[in-house]
Amino acid sequence: MTSIGYLFAALFLPLFPFSMLFNQLFARLPRAWPRMGLLILWPQLGILALASQGERPPSWMAWWAVATAALYALRTLALRDLGLWTGYMATSAWVLLWPTAAFGNSTAGSAGLAYQALGLSVPFVLLAWLAGRLESELGAAYAGLCGGLAQTLPRLSGLLVLGVLAAVATPLVPGFFTLLATTVHALPTSPGIALLILTVWLLWAWSGARIVPGLIAGPVCVDLERDLGATAARLLGLAFVVLVLAGISLSGEMT
Amino acid sequence: MEGLVVVVLLLPVVAAIATYLTAPSLHRDSVRMLGMVLAGKPAGEIRLGASWGVVLFDPLSTLMAFVVSGISLVVHVYSMRYMAEERGYARFFVLLDLMTAALLLMVSAGDLITLLIAWHLIGVLLYFLLGHDTASQSAHRYASWTLLTYRFGDLPLLLAAGLLYQAFGTWSLPDVFSYLASAPDTRTLFGLPLAETTAGLVALAAFARSAQFLLHTWLPYTMSGPTPVSALMHAGIVNAGGFLINRFAPVFVTTDGVLHWVFFVGLVTAVIGSILMLAQNDIKKALGYSTMGQMGFMIMECGVGAFSLAVYHLIAHGLFKGTLFLGAGGVISEARHDDGVPKDDLYTFVVERRSARRQQPWLLMAAITLAVPAIILVLAHWMVASDFFQKQGAVVLLFFGWVTGAQLIFSTYRMRSENIWRLMGLILVSFTIVVVGYTLISHAFDLFLYPDPVFRDRIYIAAGIDVIWFDALVILMTLVVVLGWLAAYYAEENGRRGKARLSALWRSFYRLVAQEFFVMRLYARLSRGLLAIATRLNVLLRWS
Repeated sequence: MTSIGYLFAALFLPLFPFSMLFNQLFARLPRAWPRMGLLILWPQLGILALASQGERPPSWMAWWAVATAALYALRTLALRDLGLWTGYMATSAWVLLWPTAAFGNSTAGSAGLAYQALGLSVPFVLLAWLAGRLESELGAAYAGLCGGLAQTLPRLSGLLVLGVLAAVATPLVPGFFTLLATTVHALPTSPGIALLILTVWLLWAWSGARIVPGLIAGPVCVDLERDLGATAARLLGLAFVVLVLAGISLSGEMT
Repeated sequence: MEGLVVVVLLLPVVAAIATYLTAPSLHRDSVRMLGMVLAGKPAGEIRLGASWGVVLFDPLSTLMAFVVSGISLVVHVYSMRYMAEERGYARFFVLLDLMTAALLLMVSAGDLITLLIAWHLIGVLLYFLLGHDTASQSAHRYASWTLLTYRFGDLPLLLAAGLLYQAFGTWSLPDVFSYLASAPDTRTLFGLPLAETTAGLVALAAFARSAQFLLHTWLPYTMSGPTPVSALMHAGIVNAGGFLINRFAPVFVTTDGVLHWVFFVGLVTAVIGSILMLAQNDIKKALGYSTMGQMGFMIMECGVGAFSLAVYHLIAHGLFKGTLFLGAGGVISEARHDDGVPKDDLYTFVVERRSARRQQPWLLMAAITLAVPAIILVLAHWMVASDFFQKQGAVVLLFFGWVTGAQLIFSTYRMRSENIWRLMGLILVSFTIVVVGYTLISHAFDLFLYPDPVFRDRIYIAAGIDVIWFDALVILMTLVVVLGWLAAYYAEENGRRGKARLSALWRSFYRLVAQEFFVMRLYARLSRGLLAIATRLNVLLRWS
């Protein structure tokens, strides 16, 4: 049971090479909505599988997880497709819940882990939706293909920037506090893991700073007039504020 | 009254939100006023959350909040007209207000998490301010470099925070400092001393933020951003390293040797920044390297224990560099009509690099430059206090200031000074101004920032070195200066023959400087290599 449970957990909190399955599936889904559903559900199944073990994962699995996170963080540097980037980043982020479970605050329990997984997933859901929208507008959500979106689609670009910022665990979103707590708790017993998590965090920032300008900066390549409506943009902005408030409220028990 | 500190922090955030929400329906004048009037006021103290969200109200945070508010206000006022024709006017003021809020949060953070959040957010906001012109890809490219360097600097600070939290079980800065003072020999990972380890990490974070050598490449290349952003960055953001070292002063006083490394890094940065500044033919890059050199001096001041002087330096540098940036446009515009430079002896020396017809004896100048500070220091050592050197590590900077000032006066005034006594008078007056200025300012800032005399002494003790080492270093540095003079003298006396011998060496050195010591090229190659590895991995793993 233990081995099967960990196998399920390794699939849904995707350790390499199981992570390849998730990314294949994610890339093959044709529309944004199924991708968004997948991004919400996938890690929750992993948390359920992990929680069913009733024990902290062994430290060698935490090492495996941070190595996977580093691998995918590094690979995102070379990506230009926003959809693919979202999938890789989600893999790199979720897999860090292994060291969170191994070293994190034990009082938070599986419910705490589920909230943290949700907090990590929400920005990717937004990005998957934005990628779908860009694909329908431009044919591809590809950095460098058609830049200057900040001038033609300012609201969509603003949300894209907020989504990427949240995805790379910028304060004050839940991802920031998850990574902070995991690093701090791993530090006394496994400083190597803590250092690797920080490296992953740095690679995320670099990756975000590569993909955003490729989409929003540069001269306008084509005139687009179907920007998000003001109400939709404000609602999504409000959702971002809620995410920040969730991060702040979760920070208490995590730190 | 203390609750006002929350208002101070919230005002710029409220300004940002109000600017965003009302921008479409208001005239631009109203946007300016909202951005300007609500941004930045002085500070107080309060606890907003259980484990974090503590805002300090101490001399350092008050002084820095005052400086940040003042500079932010000037930048807001300047931006009103400067940015009027730019796209994204409201966005600019939203970002500027948020940056002001983040800076105020940083200087008044009373716990490690709040400090980390503010420290991190400043890098992110600066990225968007530098990349304000969304049509410019180069602006975004260099903004990315800045973000990456800043993120690199965030990580050691996060590690230091984690180590302190694990050691004492609290995020509160005053509590951490108090625990560390009562147990300065606390050990951390691998049996390393906690104070030295955290101080080293904090110093590394400060180096990245203040563009110290090897972490400096972002600074000279971030001139594509709007001028007000350059002014704010050079006046109020890049010098955060000096603030951070001051904030962690209670950690640094319990260390042994860390401040020497801080001094060394500052020294290398000051020298290299100044050399690179002289080699630039692009005025904006020259200003960037000038800031790098100034940041080197500021870090050096921390390294010799002159913590409060570093705060004075960062304020003074912020004001003059901000003025330079904000005035640059006007100066260029005026210079297009009339350069306004009088063609006198000073002009011919500084601009045309021609010395005057009549010169004072060269060796006499060299002897005076060395003899005057030596006599004064020996007299001080004998008459004032026998341990004068150990108590006043900053006297090294005084010596440095003297040599630089005296050389400048010799260089510029020797050409028209017929009277050696007048020259001597000028030199002594300049030295007196330096000494009095230094003493008064240092004393005033010391009393304000570190009122406890015991703590002040401990800072100098932590920065002090053994007398033998100190003497040896002074002799070494003097020899370097004298050798430099001799080389210049040799080249001048032997005319073309002497210059030819030095020219090969000079050309090699110039090539090195022109390539900015190949640091940028090395980083570009490393990042290209990493990207190539990432691409190969993606191909190998079939993009899944």
